[in-house]
Amino acid sequence: MIKRMIVATAALSLAACAGGHSNIDIDELSEARAAVAASKAAGAERCAPKLQAQAVASLYWAAHEIQEGGHATEETELTERAISKANAARTQAKVNCAPKAAPKVVEIIKLSGVNFANNSADLTPESIAILDGAVATLKRRADIKVEVAAHTSSRGAAAYNLSLSRSRAASVMDYLVSHGIAADRLTSKGYGETQLIADESTRAGEAQNRRVELRVMN
Amino acid sequence: MRITLLLFTLFAFSMPASAGMFSTIDERANQISTQLEGNNSYHAHLARELANIAVEEKGQHDVTAALEFIRMAESHADQAGGAE
Repeated sequence: MIKRMIVATAALSLAACAGGHSNIDIDELSEARAAVAASKAAGAERCAPKLQAQAVASLYWAAHEIQEGGHATEETELTERAISKANAARTQAKVNCAPKAAPKVVEIIKLSGVNFANNSADLTPESIAILDGAVATLKRRADIKVEVAAHTSSRGAAAYNLSLSRSRAASVMDYLVSHGIAADRLTSKGYGETQLIADESTRAGEAQNRRVELRVMN
Repeated sequence: MRITLLLFTLFAFSMPASAGMFSTIDERANQISTQLEGNNSYHAHLARELANIAVEEKGQHDVTAALEFIRMAESHADQAGGAE
């Protein structure tokens, strides 16, 4: 009786410690392993997580059934499922992870006459009427999204001009939002002196370069 | 006396080894499901899939396989980082 108890207890210990039936590194699974590796390499864990998880789980389950033996139909079904899910994951990952094309400028609406106090982002009183016109345009064309782009002349340091143009673009955008244009239709960007359009040998040329535009994006 | 000591030692080793059986496979699978609610990461999906396999294997009376799959599921659930 005692001997039987010893044997039973030892068997229980061994059974509990047993396992390792899911070694996927076997010849029968080489095709499925390759398919899962290819989908993983295509970014499926991030871009098609459910399909990739189904492929991996099927692979482990197939490994278990193969090593257990005696379930030929299940082994085949699970192996095929691993391959088909991995292939689907790879296809979906390519679609989901494809880089989105950057929006392009399709039209530029010049806001001629929008000016600011010297070295500041404060709008001059004369600018208000022009911005009110821009508000009306944006309300009329409710389907467009625009970037508020501000530029400076090249007078002064480039870094300062870039910072000033950013503040000015933000100032115009704030005005548009405060007058009823949805913020999700607008972005603002300062270009500093990087996109000059006129010769700066004259004051008129400098003034032309200091400008604000609405860039309609696709 | 020696036999009693031997039996005690064997039980002492067998109990921790079998510790996973104190909660049923279904309870552990349900816990994973609750733990990962709303989590759609790869590890969360894999944990759910493996837990389902564990329940299926248990239904086929392969407790060893069920335990192995539920342990794998719990490991991936840990990597998934819980509910979102």
